[in-house]
Amino acid sequence: MVLTLSFYISLALFFLGLLVRMIGWLRVEIGTETGRIGLFTAVFSSLKAVLLTLLSPRIFKIMAVLITEIGLQLPLLKNGFLRWLAHMCMFYGFLLLVLMHALDETVTAALFQDYAATLNPFLFLRNLFGAMVLLGMALACLNRIGRGRKFKATNTNDLVLMILLGLILFSGFLLESVKIFSEPAFDRMAADYMGAEDEDDLEALKVYWSREFHVVFAQPPGSDDLETGRNLHMENCAACHSRPEAAFLSLPLSDRLRPLALWLNRSQADLWLWYFHFGVCFLAMILLPFTKFFHFISVPLSLMLRAADPPAPAPMPHKNPARLALEMDACTHCGVCSEHCSVAPIRRIIPNDHILPSEKLTGVKKLAHGKRLDPDVLESLSQGSFICTECYRCTQRCPSGLSLQTLWQLSKQTLAAKDFPEPHGWVRQYAADQWADRLEQSPADHPLCEDFARHRHVSESPETFSACIQCSICTNVCPVVSAGNGLTPPDMTPQQVMNLLRLNLKDLALGSRMVWDCVTCYLCQEHCPQGIRVTDILYDLRNIATRRLQQVRQLGPETPKTALPVASPPAAVRKNAL
Amino acid sequence: MEAGRIHCDLLVIGAGMAGASAALFAAKRGLKTVLVGSTAGLQFAGGMLDLLGVQAPNTANIPALRPWEAMAALIQEQPLHPYARIPLQEIRRAFVEFTELLASAGLSYYCEPENNLQIITSLGTRKTTYLVPKSMQSNAAALAQKPPCLLVDFEGLKGFSARQISATLGKHWPGLRHASISLNGAVHKSYPQPLAWELENQAVRAVLVKALRKQLQGEEVIGLPAVLGLASAGQVQAELEKELGLKVFEIPMLPPSMPGLRLKETMEKLFVNLGIQTLLQRQVQKVARSEGDGFTAYIGPDEPLTMVRARGILLASGRFFGKGLHATRKGILETIFNLPVYQPENRALWHHEDLLHSQGHPINRAGLETDENFRPLNSDGNAAFPNLFAAGTILAHNDWMHLKCGSGLSLATAYAAVNAFVQTRSNAFG
Ligand SMILES: Cc1cc2nc3c(=O)[nH]c(=O)nc-3n(C[C@H](O)[C@H](O)[C@H](O)COP(=O)(O)OP(=O)(O)OC[C@H]3O[C@@H](n4cnc5c(N)ncnc54)[C@H](O)[C@@H]3O)c2cc1C
Ligand code: SF4
Ligand code: SF4
Ligand code: SF4
Repeated sequence: MVLTLSFYISLALFFLGLLVRMIGWLRVEIGTETGRIGLFTAVFSSLKAVLLTLLSPRIFKIMAVLITEIGLQLPLLKNGFLRWLAHMCMFYGFLLLVLMHALDETVTAALFQDYAATLNPFLFLRNLFGAMVLLGMALACLNRIGRGRKFKATNTNDLVLMILLGLILFSGFLLESVKIFSEPAFDRMAADYMGAEDEDDLEALKVYWSREFHVVFAQPPGSDDLETGRNLHMENCAACHSRPEAAFLSLPLSDRLRPLALWLNRSQADLWLWYFHFGVCFLAMILLPFTKFFHFISVPLSLMLRAADPPAPAPMPHKNPARLALEMDACTHCGVCSEHCSVAPIRRIIPNDHILPSEKLTGVKKLAHGKRLDPDVLESLSQGSFICTECYRCTQRCPSGLSLQTLWQLSKQTLAAKDFPEPHGWVRQYAADQWADRLEQSPADHPLCEDFARHRHVSESPETFSACIQCSICTNVCPVVSAGNGLTPPDMTPQQVMNLLRLNLKDLALGSRMVWDCVTCYLCQEHCPQGIRVTDILYDLRNIATRRLQQVRQLGPETPKTALPVASPPAAVRKNAL
Repeated sequence: MEAGRIHCDLLVIGAGMAGASAALFAAKRGLKTVLVGSTAGLQFAGGMLDLLGVQAPNTANIPALRPWEAMAALIQEQPLHPYARIPLQEIRRAFVEFTELLASAGLSYYCEPENNLQIITSLGTRKTTYLVPKSMQSNAAALAQKPPCLLVDFEGLKGFSARQISATLGKHWPGLRHASISLNGAVHKSYPQPLAWELENQAVRAVLVKALRKQLQGEEVIGLPAVLGLASAGQVQAELEKELGLKVFEIPMLPPSMPGLRLKETMEKLFVNLGIQTLLQRQVQKVARSEGDGFTAYIGPDEPLTMVRARGILLASGRFFGKGLHATRKGILETIFNLPVYQPENRALWHHEDLLHSQGHPINRAGLETDENFRPLNSDGNAAFPNLFAAGTILAHNDWMHLKCGSGLSLATAYAAVNAFVQTRSNAFG
């Protein structure tokens, strides 16, 4: 009764959660091109789309996807046999446990007339399925530990899933083990199925069960009439009880616990464990929409939706925010994208996890759901996002079918709109001399982060630029100088930037348009008669500017000249430098 | 042939005026030639080639209008000057051959064989020189005859002001006017090179012609900054003259100017046309003697070094700017072979106290001394190697800036040194 009630309550909560989650999809905003969709439109249009798809030949494609991508999980196989094996074990082990064991009364009992949980093959299969899940989890953990050396491969979501799954499995096996030697369970069964037989028979059965079925009795049975016991067993119990050896995991565990058996029996451990096991299962069910368990639902949905997309040759990537939200929920944080990301190696130099697509997604998801993010987080998310080259590799690899590249394109728009564009964007907030004023004003020279300081900067050593004879060849060949003329002339030319370096006025160059508009065509460097690495220097300045200007970017827009500490170059010198 | 090695008859070290022209002369004489060095120096001459610009070494402020006569005076006064080593006919031939080579690659030059020309510069001064781009022929004529003339500049173009020039020259040139035009709408360029590229475009030229017509008040000739095209400069100028029905000339801007760039690019084209193998923007790291009296040069700067085996070497690595010579505390060194360098006794004597001393500074005559075949000498006063030659500004006893003879000296000595190499080879085989 309590059980049924809590089951239905949990089920109701599960559906409620599901609803909340799905409504959440409609509230997602990503990119600056599309807005939110109303509830009515969303429901109506999805129903329409589903209907149309079901009636179209695309239904066959969806079926095919159902078999290959969801049934056989081929996208995972593409990413490695072990990964696939681990997931297949967990997926099918757990699925079969749910169907055969959790829903035994509805499913198994309906299929097999003489079903009993303690009868073979069910007893054996339960252990087998449980073992599959355990094996899968072990492989997955190994995989994550291996990847963990390269980057943070596991987040809270992954942990919660693992813990919940572990608790369910562990309590299940423990329950079965304790039940094997449980005297109270024996007593209950004997009372229910043997009727009021006489004491001797009961003793005989006890002897038989303690020898053959590993039950532990507080009072060792007074008889040793094994023969009678066996007969009684065949008569009353055998129809529902196979020998416990079939429980190839639970029985060894039970035998290990035997020393504690009397105490456990006395404290009715089987009952408590039973409550516990069901408790975690219900908890998992309630939490399903909000944990990684949700990918049971979201991944197949995402994959099937993708299969339903209009066919090649030119599939336009969809930009439907609700569907993108569903897809983001289908991310299992498997890390495949990060393994294949073209820019992942940059993370070895710039220690920002947001460079990796699997980690960036977490931030982008929060962004899309309108969660408040700290400026620091936005900054780092922006850096990671704009390092991405939108190369499409992650999209191609993602086993859950996420439109990752589209997500990155749109999240960059969102970030830019939130005043966290790429450096090329924000550096234009101020003119070069305004930036220089800011740098002057900033209280101390912020130490550059360590990895950055380790790097040798070409613009730091005078040998690189001191030989410049200001001949203007670089300026003359520069296509940016040429293209900018008249329209938006660059504020200085490559030659002038070199001159600023020679005059030790580097700060004045950092925010200049020339430094940031340079297209690194290397014409200047190749033509410089003095062999000056003009392009390399400009590029280096950009790297330095990214760090240093970032630090003074948040200073107020006013830069009261009078309050400035009198620093090295007086304005006249600067003016002459140009 | 071994892998990674280049074999050649003559390796020319240095791609300034001396080295580059030597490579052309050598290739024309059928030698398998390799050229290594930076061609940037070619651009700095500004496209005008001096033979000898001053009347006499100690009156450097008097321009020489008749260079061959001045040459005789020079040779008399400075018998060690490299020019004194070369028959004048040879020097003339060097210029003729060089001019023909340039013409064969589409770049026309002009000279009056017996006279120097005087050219209006962007500073409003006169530059005395010998061989000029065809586009400056009318420049010299205009300055000499002073017909009614319009000087034009482009709004926004840096480093050229028609008003400034006419302010300087106008005193003695009544018909000289100036105007500023804007090509806005079509183009607006602040730097000469982008503007020169734009003027390769027929549509932009049409705008220019229209703007010029508006400014004309019966002038016979128009002077423009030297930005009239790059690759097809000759055509650009010819078309302007045809459309406007009058003479158009270029006024050189400060080096590195477009005529300089045209010269550089034409010579680079000639390297290809004549089958010269080039290792431009590279440097000889060291040279070793290899068996059979040849040389092996190792060319960097980046590893792996390229190895060049050559039967002879022509050293044209210039002076301090070109890095053929290097000044240290102890004195001046030659950078590749460490050959003895003729130089003032000590550092104190490098410069006269008077910065503009009429004799020039002794340091500017430092360099390699050679035998009559342009072979650098060792410390015993003999040719250091039978097959090592030198040409250009690295030679001792020439103060080319003072005498205004840089390009001519480079051309003439390159010509003579290459001929000497050919001669020694035919002697050896003959
Ligand atoms: C500022 C300036 C103004 C000038 N104005 C005039 C003018 O008004 N009139 C005129 O006629 N000429 C002018 N010139 C050009 C001058 O005449 C030429 O520079 C000179 O004649 C060329 O001499 P060069 O070839 O011997 O040496 P440079 O031009 O100095 O060339 C030296 C060459 O040697 C190369 N080199 C040196 N060391 C090595 C090595 N280890 N390995 C390989 N290559 C090496 C260099 O890369 C370079 O290519 C001017 C030049 C300059 C720089
Ligand atoms: S699209 Fe961006 S995140 Fe995805 S693999 Fe390419 S660079 Fe990495
Ligand atoms: S080309 Fe080289 S030497 Fe000339 S101004 Fe530029 S950096 Fe300086
Ligand atoms: S590398 Fe940059 S500065 Fe240099 S010529 Fe190209 S665009 Fe101009």
